Amino acid sequence: MEPEIRWKDRDDLTVLDRSLPRVDAVAKVTGTARYSHDMRLPGMVYARLVLLPWSRARIQVIDLAPAQALPGVVHAALVEEDKELVRYLGDDAVVAVVAAESPEQARDAARAVRIDWTPEDNPLITREQVSEEDASSLARRGNVWQSGERGDEDSTQRALQGALVMVEAEYSAPVQHHACLETHGCVVDFRGGDEATVYASTQAVSNNPRSFARALGLDSAQVRVVCEYMGGGFGSKFGIGLEGRVACEVAKALGRPVHLMVDRPQEFLMTGNRSGTRQVMRAGADRDGRIVALHVEADKFGGVSGGSLPTPPYIYRVEEAYARIHTVHAALDGNRAMRAPGHPQASFAMESMVDELATELGMDAVEVRIQNLASETHHRQLRAVARAIGWDQHPFRTSPADRPLESHERPPGCPAAPPGWMEGIGFAVSQWGAGGRRGAQCEVRIESDGSVTSSCGVQDLGTGARSYVAAIVAEELGLERDQVTARIGDSALPPGVASGGSVTTGSVAPAVQHAALLAREAMEERAVAVLGGETGGFSFERGRITRKDDASRSITWREACALLGEEPVSVVGSFQRELHQGGVHGAQAARVAVDPMTGRVKVLDMACVQDQGIPLNRATVRSQINGGMVQGLSYALFEQRVVDPDFGAVLTANFEDYKIAGAKDIPRMQPIIDEGDQRSAVMGMAEATGVPGAGAIANAVHNACGARVRALPITPDRVLEALGRKG
Amino acid sequence: MKPFEMALPRSVEEATRLLPDTIGDDRARLLAGGQDLLTEMKEHLVEPDVVVNLKSVPGLAGIEDEGSAVRIGALTTLATLEAFAAQSPFEGCERGFRMLLEAVESVASPQIRSQATLGGNLNQRPRCWYYRMEQFPCLKKGGTECFSYYGKNRYNAILGGGPSYIVHPSDLAVALTALDAEVELVGPTGTRSMLVEDFFVLPSEGDPLRETRIAANEVLSCVRIPKASMARKSVWLKFKERDAYDFALASVALSAEHAGDGSYGDVRLVLGGVAPTPWRCHRTEKKLLGREPGEDASVLAQEDALAEAEPLSENGYKVPLTKGLIAQALLRIEEVR
Amino acid sequence: MTQRPPETSSSAGVSRRRFLQGSGTALAAGVTTSEASSSAGPAAAPRLSGEVEVTFQLNGEARTALVEPRTTLLSLLRHHLSPPLTGTKEVCDRGNCGACTVQIDGAPAYSCLTLAVDLAGRSVRTIEGVGSPESLHPVQRAFCEQDAAMCGFCTPGFVVATVAALEQEPQASLERVKERLSGNLCRCGTYPHIFAAVQEVTGQRTDEVFREEGR
Repeated sequence: MEPEIRWKDRDDLTVLDRSLPRVDAVAKVTGTARYSHDMRLPGMVYARLVLLPWSRARIQVIDLAPAQALPGVVHAALVEEDKELVRYLGDDAVVAVVAAESPEQARDAARAVRIDWTPEDNPLITREQVSEEDASSLARRGNVWQSGERGDEDSTQRALQGALVMVEAEYSAPVQHHACLETHGCVVDFRGGDEATVYASTQAVSNNPRSFARALGLDSAQVRVVCEYMGGGFGSKFGIGLEGRVACEVAKALGRPVHLMVDRPQEFLMTGNRSGTRQVMRAGADRDGRIVALHVEADKFGGVSGGSLPTPPYIYRVEEAYARIHTVHAALDGNRAMRAPGHPQASFAMESMVDELATELGMDAVEVRIQNLASETHHRQLRAVARAIGWDQHPFRTSPADRPLESHERPPGCPAAPPGWMEGIGFAVSQWGAGGRRGAQCEVRIESDGSVTSSCGVQDLGTGARSYVAAIVAEELGLERDQVTARIGDSALPPGVASGGSVTTGSVAPAVQHAALLAREAMEERAVAVLGGETGGFSFERGRITRKDDASRSITWREACALLGEEPVSVVGSFQRELHQGGVHGAQAARVAVDPMTGRVKVLDMACVQDQGIPLNRATVRSQINGGMVQGLSYALFEQRVVDPDFGAVLTANFEDYKIAGAKDIPRMQPIIDEGDQRSAVMGMAEATGVPGAGAIANAVHNACGARVRALPITPDRVLEALGRKG
Repeated sequence: MKPFEMALPRSVEEATRLLPDTIGDDRARLLAGGQDLLTEMKEHLVEPDVVVNLKSVPGLAGIEDEGSAVRIGALTTLATLEAFAAQSPFEGCERGFRMLLEAVESVASPQIRSQATLGGNLNQRPRCWYYRMEQFPCLKKGGTECFSYYGKNRYNAILGGGPSYIVHPSDLAVALTALDAEVELVGPTGTRSMLVEDFFVLPSEGDPLRETRIAANEVLSCVRIPKASMARKSVWLKFKERDAYDFALASVALSAEHAGDGSYGDVRLVLGGVAPTPWRCHRTEKKLLGREPGEDASVLAQEDALAEAEPLSENGYKVPLTKGLIAQALLRIEEVR
Repeated sequence: MTQRPPETSSSAGVSRRRFLQGSGTALAAGVTTSEASSSAGPAAAPRLSGEVEVTFQLNGEARTALVEPRTTLLSLLRHHLSPPLTGTKEVCDRGNCGACTVQIDGAPAYSCLTLAVDLAGRSVRTIEGVGSPESLHPVQRAFCEQDAAMCGFCTPGFVVATVAALEQEPQASLERVKERLSGNLCRCGTYPHIFAAVQEVTGQRTDEVFREEGR
């Protein structure tokens, strides 16, 4: 008999919907958590990629001999025989690989490889360069091509003409890097024969064996992929990449374990990015603030990949909309998925545009949003986040501030701007599909000594997946969370899903819950033998199994498990549609301070209200919300890849010049779990939280001082320029 | 890093004998805290055969009261200077130390400050990305072009540039210039001293391979700050793009004595992050003399200090930004007690 | 004030690019360095070359290691010790990120910018010396309780930097804490929870840091 597929009522939860330390917290804070970088195997060699850091380089000679002559060097090979041209500065610029006994020796060897090359005339970086008549083609469809179109242009034009107010503006966002702290790569343990284990820094443990097997010349079943811990992926670590394929080649050649992690510059140059955009918008609104028309022409800058941008209008309801999107290729690393691919770019432009219309109309920034958002959830969340940030006390709700704030004009405890700085508040919303997909499975095993193991091959990117693989089972079986051991990050376990699109929770948690329900039922069958009653008639609470109809008939968990004898419970659950849902919403607000003398922007306070169905662990949900806000802040104020377009070289391939937010840049943060969401289902929410930050901050900057900065990042030069424009 | 030998001199004189005679000869290089040199070696910007480790020389670290001056040994770490300045144990030097404390705390990160030394800070090399990337054979590396001139130059110089447009990265150089500090240089044939201001050299004034007047075989042994300068009111403002760990887009060190009538007496106005050297605004200082602090003086100082600014294609914003900082420094110094 | 004309025409760019005319090692575009004449001269000073022994205190125990002068402390820990100490992470290898933070004589330092030979007679504490799973340091316990680690890769560096900061300033304010942690980067965005953890240790929990009560 199949148990009823359901989550417990919210009020009955004792493990889920609580703040609990994650199960691997101790391993992480003590440095005992082992990442791919940390694997050390007997006989292991260190491999290193040789990357020629220029776009469009014509190769004459690659001489490996100087590398081979160095002490400790055991391998040096071309990545591609007879390679004549580096087509683009990305993985195509990797020309050779070396391997040696120590990392220092591998570094020496990589450096010793001699490459004679000449630059092609056109580095193919800018739109102008790739559009030149004789420019080489980087993609089948040409270097600039229309990749999206939606809506009726004529009726949109007409609607624009009929609008009460019209705003025309160009918004742009730079290429952003994932900047994972653990670089891409893996340790391939293949010593010949027909078995291999790969320790990979990956977001897709269960999907990777096939690719590694192909690279090793084995069958998928012969390759085990392990990723107990991984140092950040954010969308860039789905495939095994060139680095994975090359590591396999080296292992095949040497018959020894190979450690190949790309170095930091390579991480910036060849492991993907968030594509840049330029969006030219014309929008019109009526006197109630309804957006009646939106015309968008957009470019996506995804290097040799297509770039990503959801077709506008983004989230907001627009009566007549037309959008035409072009992909503009460049001889640079292709974009990859990155935490809500395309959405932060879309959000920054759309939220700025909504704000510009509100300013034209003299409307309240919250009210104009509510007017144009279909979802009641967004309305509730906007009001909540407005309260949290102090919008009601804020005297400048319909036009930019014209004086510094007084202390009573912000909520108690709210950080204040330095004397003389201007202060403003901005808003933005998000939504995300999330949901789940079939394929995930989970095994729950209960031994006669009372121990419980919950196993799923899924990886934990830092989201807390390992913790809920244990917690869900503990919840259903009435145990403490730490009585259940979670095993994850291993393709030998029942399959997880790739962690993308915030679907991990929606896919894996239902499978875990299903396994927990099956395990519970199996235990009930055993309990019937000693307690009587029937399956489905027991409660599992505080380590006891008790008959619902007779509380005096009860045994402890240990006693029940002892009944198992030599026959442990082993059940496998699978994805159950009714346990998950899609569709999460969020709203964010930012309070910023702007120094009108220097153009410096400092974020003072951020608030995010986010729904996610059942919060599996309130602490990790808050961490995710904070993470989204921090990344949004960093994208808004600091991050940009800088390329020298004349030479075809990336100037920001390190953590000094590619700036991400640090401790002193972090404001007060209010991660608020939306208690208004009482859906009895699980869903992921991380991507949604990374979407609205830049728009909210840009709007807050305008609200503070009237400077409308339409290009990210909002650096002092742009603020000063916008202030100058304002006059 | 290329393999190297490490030499452990027992005296400054011995260290000088281990060094090459010529600027640009990188066969031997001085190591102090290593926070800049090691990154340069990792990027293969310099590949010495011999690294001369100054830490083996006794007596190069420490802060002393020399009567009329404060002497800071070149190997004093920034963390030590930070802690010392916070204590400010020398009478009459409190104002100067307060400004130095602000300046030191604005340098890099606590980890860097633990190991970085005062001498290393003054002798550090530029941060310009074209310089720091081995693949660009720039002027500073013996090449023929300053790539920033036509290239991506949002962080480069608006004053004093040409033929190289680097900005000097040292914050302490700017603060110490405002305090009339001197450096002591020990060479194989003797010791000489010069103002910190004179220690730095524009690329147009000499060899673009270097930023200072130190000879290849000289060792910066200490810095001396006149106590009279330490007694002046002083402020330090550093503008970073990001609050955590960043170099200056612009900085201002201002040191001033007010006359009995409240007007400016003695003034030092030094800008950082805008020129290939700390940029002392002599003319502006003179114009401020005898003027009442206030809006007029501030506007005059801002306009005059930046009058010669010649921004490149992407760094024009540094002009209003630096003016803003000067204005704030002039306001702040009135609050100094 | 004169604005220099930006030069962006691609023809100019191309000609400038052509002058790279690359050949040489993988990375360098044929840099000519000046040939210098002088020699370092005969030296009486002691020299370290090849592989040298260095003895120092590591997590409270005397250790002797065989290293090249160029070997960094980070590489020594992660690659040349047996067994290796891999809790200290390599992220940037250039002193930008703080993942390799250790304490040297109590002070926080980047092990990637520290030569192992410079450690003679000094005392190094790594994350492994701060505490163990069986015996957590109060800072580590607070990091666990406040969920101050997400992917965890920056965490050892943050823990060591926090320990060093609080040893110097046990009552550090939140602003001071941010300053003392400004040499460490986190990509997941754990900062607010790190601040909460530090404030838990210092007993200064305030509204500055978000903390959900009662759950």
